[in-house]
Amino acid sequence: MGEVLLSKDVLVYLFSESLLFILLFIAFLVSVKVYLKWDFNSFTPNQFKLEQESYLVTTIAFFIFIMKFFLILYFAFTVDNLSTLVAGAMCGAGVIQSNSYGDYLLILKLSILFGLTLWFYLNAYDLESKNYQWFKEKSALFIFLFIFILAELYLDFAYFTNIDTHQPVSCCSALFGQLEGANPLPFGLNTVTLLTLFYLLFILVILTLLLNQTYLYILSNLLFLYIAYYALVYFFGTYIYQLPTHKCPFCMLQKEYYYIGYALWFSLFIGSFIGINGAISSIWLKQETSVDAKKVVVALLGFFLFLCSTYVMIYYFKNGVWL
Amino acid sequence: MKKILPLLLIITFMAIVAMIVVSMAKESQPITIVKGNMAMKPIDIKLNATNDTHCKMIIKSIDNSAEVVSPDGRTWFFDDVGCMVLWLEGKKFKDDAKLWVHTIDSKKWIDAKKAYYGVTDHTAMHYGFGAREKESNRTIGLDEMRLRMLRGENLTNPKIRKKLLGE
Repeated sequence: MGEVLLSKDVLVYLFSESLLFILLFIAFLVSVKVYLKWDFNSFTPNQFKLEQESYLVTTIAFFIFIMKFFLILYFAFTVDNLSTLVAGAMCGAGVIQSNSYGDYLLILKLSILFGLTLWFYLNAYDLESKNYQWFKEKSALFIFLFIFILAELYLDFAYFTNIDTHQPVSCCSALFGQLEGANPLPFGLNTVTLLTLFYLLFILVILTLLLNQTYLYILSNLLFLYIAYYALVYFFGTYIYQLPTHKCPFCMLQKEYYYIGYALWFSLFIGSFIGINGAISSIWLKQETSVDAKKVVVALLGFFLFLCSTYVMIYYFKNGVWL
Repeated sequence: MKKILPLLLIITFMAIVAMIVVSMAKESQPITIVKGNMAMKPIDIKLNATNDTHCKMIIKSIDNSAEVVSPDGRTWFFDDVGCMVLWLEGKKFKDDAKLWVHTIDSKKWIDAKKAYYGVTDHTAMHYGFGAREKESNRTIGLDEMRLRMLRGENLTNPKIRKKLLGE
């Protein structure tokens, strides 16, 4: 127990997370004080001081949240590297499943990523408004996110200190591959309908974006994210691995596949999160989503779709057959 | 273009909803349990479409497959009598359940308590206990088979395998 703490990647990761948390904790304390005493109708020196402190908190939070994006990528890299130490694991899939904390940690990290993108929107609106119009909302979200990040830090330590390198774990083929005839796809879809739905949902995302159908845009983005996950693991992934039986969301993060998984998962999750949160923040704050944000969503999701499709086309042109 | 886009949006949306609804309606999941078997009789297993309740594997062969019927008519299916024994342990209705096995000699469903079991047969999970209707000097009863399963004394144990098969 705890042998993985000898890994330099794990040490660097936990140290970085702890360091950022200390910074975040200081920002949190100041933020709570500012949130409770904030009064825009007041023109006292105290309010002026609070406004200066709020700028400090925003700067610290901005830095930390940017770092969190990189740390999530580093977490994936660290977990993947541990597969050489954990018995039975061939990639990050087995390592994540090596104890009961792994799945919760991964879900929590994605939830935090979702919250962070929403915070960036609120921050952008707030700074644009010049008079800190959305400061209260932004601070409330920051305090809410702090609780999540606290839970994340606990799970980070609980997860890495409870990985038993001697206890064999299942490899990705056992977790995602052999399902004995059971259909792993949602809604009873088969491969053809899954792919049709994947491309149709992308079109729907673009159309709802062009026509400013905000609620439908959120729904189509969520559904696209959900279907794209299955499409990547159960169809496009087989073309990345060039093996019809290899179905895994983690192996594509490895060197053998040119780390393409980072580009794919990053573009999918960040693209969807920016899209969904752009719509949520525009409903919440009754503001128009910026054209630049919309362009980023189309660019990221378009890149994801292009990359997935290119793998299939290249395979077909090289070999003359589909997998 | 502005007039076409809303129309395109509606068509795309409708197509997506239709695809999901049709797929869900056509979805065929493997059978895991059948309810309402109050007569507690064996039920025909749909091969390649029924899941073993214990090991979760699809049942591909009728030979040595087994069924457990609880007094309230619920029926569970197994691809190996060893799976049935392991699953049944600790169940409240263990003593009142009706157990069925499909024999390899007479090719029919018989009461598992009246069946005899070989110890070196080829079975789905390689436990080795093949069900038979007729007794021989190389078969054992259900109680002994159950004990051997719970002790791990079956062909999946390398020591037992070497002792019985010399491999």
